[in-house]
Amino acid sequence: MIRSHFLNMVIFSWLVAVFFAYLTQSDGKDRIRVILIIGTSMGVISLIVAYVMYPFPLR
Amino acid sequence: MPDDQPGGAAVPGRVPVDPWIPCVLTWLLPGLGHIVLGKRRTGLVFMAVVLITFGLGVASDGAASLIDTRQPLTLLATFDNLAVGPIEVISRYATYGRMVYRLPGEEGDARQAGLTEKVRRRIRSVTYEYGNTFLLTAGLMNMLLILDAFDIATGRKD
Repeated sequence: MIRSHFLNMVIFSWLVAVFFAYLTQSDGKDRIRVILIIGTSMGVISLIVAYVMYPFPLR
Repeated sequence: MPDDQPGGAAVPGRVPVDPWIPCVLTWLLPGLGHIVLGKRRTGLVFMAVVLITFGLGVASDGAASLIDTRQPLTLLATFDNLAVGPIEVISRYATYGRMVYRLPGEEGDARQAGLTEKVRRRIRSVTYEYGNTFLLTAGLMNMLLILDAFDIATGRKD
């Protein structure tokens, strides 16, 4: 079991990225481009949202 | 091939098949429909991605959903769980120890209390939310794969 929040998020992002790259593209180079775009953007956007939410109280 | 020309049989090098066959095969085992349609590598990648996602869901203490008539959204969640195919029973056994799809009886029923307690045990797990997300995503992915296999078989997509 993976307990790290960040690692779970990264694994999830890349699995989804690979899935949609193979679903929407047929060329190898295009697939790699889509994997990099989706995987990176999911991770980066999640970190930005987390940073923005950081000042909010937990309760 | 344009959208208005159905019939995967027209695609060169592809054996004509009934479009429902790859859909059923994809449900039985994610990616199998694509393999049957001649997209071996793509099918294997889909199989790996969906099975890894599902496996991480089970390993991370995700819970299979039960239909609760008081909460209509549980119907959608259970349908999503079922979309991943027969391997779904693994997550159900891991969560409840048996095949159960509907919350039985009325409130206060001993059977219902037992199942609810099993879900509560899972909710206490640190990775429960991740597990649930992985399980639901595996089901959603397989739904898209079923639709994709249908489109390929009918010639709407290469």
